[in-house]
Amino acid sequence: MKQKSIGFIAADIIYILMMTLPFLAAIVLKVLTTPLSDGVEITGARIFFTIPMPIQDLLVTEAQINSLCVMIALFGLCLFLTHGLRTRDISVRQHLAEWIVEKVDKLVNDSMGNYFMNFAPFIIAILGLSAFSSFTCLLGLFPPTSDINIVAGWAILVFILITYNKLKCGPVHYLKGFTEPVAFLAPINFISEFATPISMAFRHYGNVLSGSVISVLIATALQGLSNLLLGWLPGFLGEIPFLQVGLPAVLSIYFDVFSGGLQAFIFAMLTMMYVSDGFPMEEYFARKKAKEDKKSTLKQKTEVN
Amino acid sequence: MLELAIGIILGGCALGAGCAMIAGIGPGIGEGNAVAAACEAIGRQPECKGSVTSTMLMGCAVAETTGLYALVIAILLIFVAPNLLVNILLRAMGA
Amino acid sequence: MQNLDVISVNLWQILISLANLVILFLLVKKFLYKPVKKVLKQRQDEIEVQYTAAKQAEDQALKNKEQYEAKLTGAKDEADSIIKTAAETAKRRSEAIAAEAEEKATRILRQAEQDAALEREKAADGIKKEIIEVSSELSKKLIEREINTDDHKALIDSFIEEIGEGNE
Repeated sequence: MKQKSIGFIAADIIYILMMTLPFLAAIVLKVLTTPLSDGVEITGARIFFTIPMPIQDLLVTEAQINSLCVMIALFGLCLFLTHGLRTRDISVRQHLAEWIVEKVDKLVNDSMGNYFMNFAPFIIAILGLSAFSSFTCLLGLFPPTSDINIVAGWAILVFILITYNKLKCGPVHYLKGFTEPVAFLAPINFISEFATPISMAFRHYGNVLSGSVISVLIATALQGLSNLLLGWLPGFLGEIPFLQVGLPAVLSIYFDVFSGGLQAFIFAMLTMMYVSDGFPMEEYFARKKAKEDKKSTLKQKTEVN
Repeated sequence: MLELAIGIILGGCALGAGCAMIAGIGPGIGEGNAVAAACEAIGRQPECKGSVTSTMLMGCAVAETTGLYALVIAILLIFVAPNLLVNILLRAMGA
Repeated sequence: MQNLDVISVNLWQILISLANLVILFLLVKKFLYKPVKKVLKQRQDEIEVQYTAAKQAEDQALKNKEQYEAKLTGAKDEADSIIKTAAETAKRRSEAIAAEAEEKATRILRQAEQDAALEREKAADGIKKEIIEVSSELSKKLIEREINTDDHKALIDSFIEEIGEGNE
């Protein structure tokens, strides 16, 4: 085992701080801005301040800040994992990095085909951002994925990608796709085209939100129950909701970890599926081949001349 | 009169939310079918357990979408619609 | 401080989160995907190089082995031929020796036969001489005495017996 240099360790520490500090700052911000006797209620993200903008005021909310924190942490994680890459006697973190890359490569290759291999980093990004955004509520933060705006942004990006891939054979071919199988179904096809991002956004948002709604309901019920059962205790002891200790943690394993991870995976899978389904593979390659043939024949002609 | 109107709005919203959540039946039945089929498949071919389970989870999550739409509508009706409707009512009364 | 509604759509927030995802995609591509791919490719290349080196070494070893085997078979052949020639020479020599010995033996035998023949002749000569002596003595005796027929016959028998004994 080689001795690590001081610079290496310092860089490691910086990366680890990059991973942890944003969440710490977010927790501090949340504690500072939450009013004391708020109780539990179902609301959206907290608005920190508003910036006047042309169409609609930009609201800087907790969800935005948290998703920024997740991004910084993921960036730190990337740097940490790829720090000190070697070709032999590799470290645990390099194993992890290679495992991630190879798994996602395989996933993309299996579900999208070889042509879309440059989608792999996008899939890593979407998986990481979505999963870790859902996991932030383990720290007591507001999960950014339960804000419709955040998820809608991702879904719209996916929609742009789908449309871009559909347009690869020209707008005429794209518009012709709406008249299939029958021409008068075009309006319905058009609606279903735009329903894709909406359904993706609402699926992800609704899953995370339903989890948090149920968590809040159970927490409120437990608070009421503990007030009822333990309210006779003297002084402030009676006000502490003792029953809230165990059950919400167990539920959050399901609603946050399992559901959040599953939704991230499903969002990524649906992205891959929609993009690769929308891409007119045979038509595209047929056209490409025709173009190349034309080019080669032209070349031959010019050579002959 | 105003109280009655607001009461009707709130009650209507709550009733609507409750009715919307009837949609929860659909995904329940669908997911039950999916899981039953998956169990059958695993029983027939236990070596495919991993892939069957992951495909089933994927399908369940997609089938859940309709239920989530209903949930979103219900949440809108409970948390967003009353404020909106009451504000509209008050503005109409003021005008 | 206010809270948002549970569902509220804000265009700028959507755009910001869209941009966030694009930025994160670029970061992941630049800082995770490409370096790891590069390292994997490097390792692949290294393995390839090592593999070709190992292959070369194996080929070399096989070639050496073939050479050695060829040499070994050559040495075996040589040894075989040496042994064969040695055996042949030995055989030839032994045959020669045997022939010589036989010749010698036949010569000795012939010599002995000749000697024996000579001896016999000598003996025959001696017997003849004796017979002559005996006959001359007999004739002397005959002449000295009158001979009757019985005596005559007995005389001849004894004579013949004597010859037979002397002949043996």
